[in-house]
Amino acid sequence: MEILHNIAQRRLRSTLTIGGIVVGVLALTLTGAMAEHFHAQFEGGDAYFRSNIQVADDAGSYAGVISLSKIDPIQKVPGVAVALPSIGLPARPGSATSVPLGAPDTIAYADPRERDHSRLKAAIADGRQLQPNRQGEVVLGHDLANEYGVKVGDRLDLPIRPQNANPDFVNHPFKVVGILKKTNTLPDATASVGLLDAQMLLQESLPASFRDRLDPSSLASRITVYGKPGVDLDMLADRINATVPGVTATRPTDFVNNFDQGARFAAIAVGTALLALLFGAILLINTMVVAVIERQGEIALKMTFGAQPWHIVAEYLLEATIIGLVGGLIGFAAGAGLAALLDLAGRTVNMDVFLITDRLAKITLGLSLALGVGAGMIPSLRAARLDPDRALRAP
Amino acid sequence: MAAVEVRDLIRKYRQGEDNMVRALDGVTLSIDTGEFVSLVGRSGSGKTTFLHCVGLLLRPTTGQVLIDGVDTTALTDGQRADFRGRRIGFVFRHQSLLPTLTALQNVMLPLRYGPIGTGGKKRARELLDLVGLGDLVNHRPGQLTVAESQRVAIARALIKAPALVVADEPTGEVDNETSDELLFLMQQLNRTSGVTFIIATHDIDVATCMDRVIRLSDGQVGADERLRVERGRRSSIR
Repeated sequence: MEILHNIAQRRLRSTLTIGGIVVGVLALTLTGAMAEHFHAQFEGGDAYFRSNIQVADDAGSYAGVISLSKIDPIQKVPGVAVALPSIGLPARPGSATSVPLGAPDTIAYADPRERDHSRLKAAIADGRQLQPNRQGEVVLGHDLANEYGVKVGDRLDLPIRPQNANPDFVNHPFKVVGILKKTNTLPDATASVGLLDAQMLLQESLPASFRDRLDPSSLASRITVYGKPGVDLDMLADRINATVPGVTATRPTDFVNNFDQGARFAAIAVGTALLALLFGAILLINTMVVAVIERQGEIALKMTFGAQPWHIVAEYLLEATIIGLVGGLIGFAAGAGLAALLDLAGRTVNMDVFLITDRLAKITLGLSLALGVGAGMIPSLRAARLDPDRALRAP
Repeated sequence: MAAVEVRDLIRKYRQGEDNMVRALDGVTLSIDTGEFVSLVGRSGSGKTTFLHCVGLLLRPTTGQVLIDGVDTTALTDGQRADFRGRRIGFVFRHQSLLPTLTALQNVMLPLRYGPIGTGGKKRARELLDLVGLGDLVNHRPGQLTVAESQRVAIARALIKAPALVVADEPTGEVDNETSDELLFLMQQLNRTSGVTFIIATHDIDVATCMDRVIRLSDGQVGADERLRVERGRRSSIR
């Protein structure tokens, strides 16, 4: 109670100090939420792409398309468990100028057999999974459904028509039959369709001069290869490259390393926010040092009543800790609120970049606590070393 | 038994680079339990240094301070703080109440630094009643007069039932009438509780109300007189 009174009595100074901590924690919360977002995305991508080999065409044909005729020779390579067609194409063609800070909206086909092999699992939140051989149906990721404001039973035209669409742009109506649970990673921004629909859309996405020469039923964007248990996938990728002509199999390790940029960016941003928090810590140290100087008489009095140095240290540490925690709580709440607002505002442009997690809350509040204790340590030790004889003689 | 026994007490202070000043220069004296003693002397005579040494706030350079027979100079800092908290009460000249606490909380403050016991609040209320502030227990120092604040400080000095109360110019900031009242109050407490009081003052009128007057001069005992005065208000002995 006395500590709260002390904080309240020096209202302006306490407010400014808490304000400094709030700014630091708010910055940390926002950048931390961004880092958590990238981390979740990276983890999902890592889980998926580390568990398989992505095989693309290398025969000089149109980039982004591979013939399904390559599946058989790949399947025969020793160590391959299954080779499956995969298709992926932009759900919002022409929106490359506004690159989202996350996975882009994608129309995808993944063979149902992948569920038996892939480490990345996505469960249905509402509706059902796609049924084989049924066309005109789509299962949407959580973010995509939110972004377009659709629910199970609604209709969605895919791909999304860009504002300045070419004259030959075509899209098709799809019935939303399912919506996935939020995964915080790749599936959230994915519209999953059946093989025939995906092949049709893939063919239509190709240049007009090229598309008519291809049979859509023989197309895929790439072939996804899963190895038998215990097989080294990097070595298997090398083996595919060596034995199957006209394809490029990317080693999973190389593939995963390529999309680690977001995590690096987030690390830099978090580092910057920690500097802001350091600023808050310096403010707190200053406040507590001034408090100790102002309250020398009070400290000396307590010593005359038998207060041991650890009593004095504990009192000032507690005061600094309370200031740090109050600043931390307000900063975290403000940061989480701002992150939610920014995500809400950015949803229309697919800029969902913040993820508030329990881990982030624990780290942020833990750091606020540590800041209070750390910043209070020097002033409280100084208070405990006070000479009561001298302090009591001061006018 | 002597409540306080001081043997050849020397306390030096550094003044400037090389100069050492002897604030206390070989003080030897003994104060019996229950005595009501005044310590007089001019400013700089060593009164506060003596009280701080006896109150265990300051270690003597050499010499011994025995309180209730315990040689306090042999104690560690932690033991001195503990002993001080349990056995010695303090009253100061300046407003010494914590502004954020009520009168009752200020009286109870010393209880925070010792073994947790029961009945502290009851005793604090009794002491506030005793010093005539039973109605002001929830007032904060800003709402009290200087005299009332000093009464609270006196009650606080007694909360742990100490063997000794040291008071450094407790009437230094009040008018004569209030000074008489405070002095009378301490005298009554001394008489009823048997607590030894050592009160430093430069007011000779105050000193003459005491059982004994010790005069310090340049850090040495210049005079040590036992008076035969009727206990009571100063006005009554004029």
